[in-house]
Amino acid sequence: MAPTFQIESIDGLRYRIPRNAERGMRTDVRVYASPALIDQIMKDRSLEQAMNVATLPGIVGSSLAMPDIHQGYGFPIGGVAAMDFETGVVSPGGVGFDINCGVRLVRTNLIEKDVRARLRELVNQVFRDVPCGTGSSGFVRIQAKELDHVLAKGARWMIDNGYGEPSDAEYAEAGGALAGADPDCVSARAKERGRPQLGTLGSGNHFLEIQFVEKLHEPSAAAAMGLEPGQVVILIHSGSRGLGHQVCTDYVAEMNGAMQRYNITLPDRQLACAPAQSREGQAYLKAMQAAANFAWANRQAILHFLRPAFRKVFGESARLSLVYDVCHNIAKREFHQVAGERREVLVHRKGATRAFPPGHAEIPSKYRAIGQPVLVPGSMGTASWILAGAEGAMQETFGSVCHGAGRLLSRTAAAKGRDAKQVERKLEEQGIIVRSESRQGIVEEIPEAYKDVDEVIDVVDRAGLARKVARLRPMGVIKG
Amino acid sequence: MSGRDPQTPEFEILEHPADIGFRVRGQTLAQLFENAAAALQSIAVESDEVRAAEQFALSAVAPDAEALLVNWLNEVLFWSDGRGIAFREFRVQELEPTHVSGIGLGEARDPARHRAKLIVKAATYHQLKLERSPEGWLAEVFLDI
Repeated sequence: MAPTFQIESIDGLRYRIPRNAERGMRTDVRVYASPALIDQIMKDRSLEQAMNVATLPGIVGSSLAMPDIHQGYGFPIGGVAAMDFETGVVSPGGVGFDINCGVRLVRTNLIEKDVRARLRELVNQVFRDVPCGTGSSGFVRIQAKELDHVLAKGARWMIDNGYGEPSDAEYAEAGGALAGADPDCVSARAKERGRPQLGTLGSGNHFLEIQFVEKLHEPSAAAAMGLEPGQVVILIHSGSRGLGHQVCTDYVAEMNGAMQRYNITLPDRQLACAPAQSREGQAYLKAMQAAANFAWANRQAILHFLRPAFRKVFGESARLSLVYDVCHNIAKREFHQVAGERREVLVHRKGATRAFPPGHAEIPSKYRAIGQPVLVPGSMGTASWILAGAEGAMQETFGSVCHGAGRLLSRTAAAKGRDAKQVERKLEEQGIIVRSESRQGIVEEIPEAYKDVDEVIDVVDRAGLARKVARLRPMGVIKG
Repeated sequence: MSGRDPQTPEFEILEHPADIGFRVRGQTLAQLFENAAAALQSIAVESDEVRAAEQFALSAVAPDAEALLVNWLNEVLFWSDGRGIAFREFRVQELEPTHVSGIGLGEARDPARHRAKLIVKAATYHQLKLERSPEGWLAEVFLDI
């Protein structure tokens, strides 16, 4: 299918789709990709979606596409757009239904050889102790009133109430809680849907992976994160579960009703938005931050249940420590330099990770000299990456990079002609044990369904947006 | 590919790079709403063994028909994901341009009998289609997975 738009290479790492006024674009689209990745990207409609994002009122700089970009709904997945905080819009679709979907990296004091020897036992134990939530509720029991505290205080509330260790909150983006959250802006339905799901992984592409550090690319940065070759780590990918989904559903519906009032017309209703300073915009931002806090609490609860699972298998000396926790579906109020001017913007990161460079005040002091840790999962059979934010991200992408490998095959194409047992066997031959609540969950998430994560990371590294720190390989995978 | 549950009206799965969609038909708009709800249920849960033991009142409002379909599906999703109900079938009782109400017949979900296939996050407006067809009505809806 020939593209209906003009795209030009800037330097083989950056591509540009010029602003097209007839399509209502207010700015260019800039894509970060290699020639091979751009060919893959052009096979779906993700760049058209990035062009639609360029029509949003108040967009500052370019509509950005990361190398893992793929087609989403409304916004592309792997898209970044900054809106002027005073005059621009906020779009719930620009954050997504899984508000603060994100990744948490946990290091252990175990090495690959020891864990391999008891891997099946460990995977089964974790599968029992960390519910996916497709068949059962989570193990966190809280009253409705307590949920409001979770929404206000995020991971901090969990830790204060026995679900974690004090240092866990320190090493999360925003300390695991956004201060602007208002539980009263979250509907009763969202609270009802989310409360029993606290402490559950979810399904789709969510997972918990037991991995080992395969190779260090920047040993000094890895040392600051407490990582060394052969060390076993855990990557947790989950979000705000039904609570966040319902918040997005509620506010997309509300903004669809409100757009006429604000004279906003859009090429796709899923981009529904309202001025960030409007009543609807402000209410959404407060609810979104509450849902983001729920997501941090959720990942915190998962870590809490993971610790005894490891101790049951490896004894009381097994130690799990949080390295960092990043969100990749969020709208954040930040200050950035735009054309030499300091601007307050609302950075929508939809399937994109914040990647602040060394020295940034929002990075925990332990990591400030190396830059913010950036966690990029690949697929369940390949690799994941740990990066550190670099100055180029601040100059070019509002401090943002990719969030994963990016899908290549549709769910139906991935599942075609495959059964879960066959996929499990093939992964076992590579030393990877998989457990899932759903057979469909395994076949739809096969490694072949994703782009080459190494190539995605190469683009980000070569473009100067983030630096490679370590490559991780999976051993055990828990999927919803 | 069409729906596998013989109790579920036929629907077609539509491909999407990350998510999933379906195309569904109905002789009337009310029937289309019923069939769309059944398609959503069938994508999320193995529903062969769901009993129509109880009735659950469902309703939605929206400014137009397309939004009404999205909101109706999100109502069904709230009951299934938020309240743990597995549905057998749906009956639309009242359908106005901006309002729909009806019942879902089903029971509290038992994970042993009603295994999850996918957790659906939401019905979206992405490439949403709702139009008259030679047989009555046709809709295409994409779900966030």
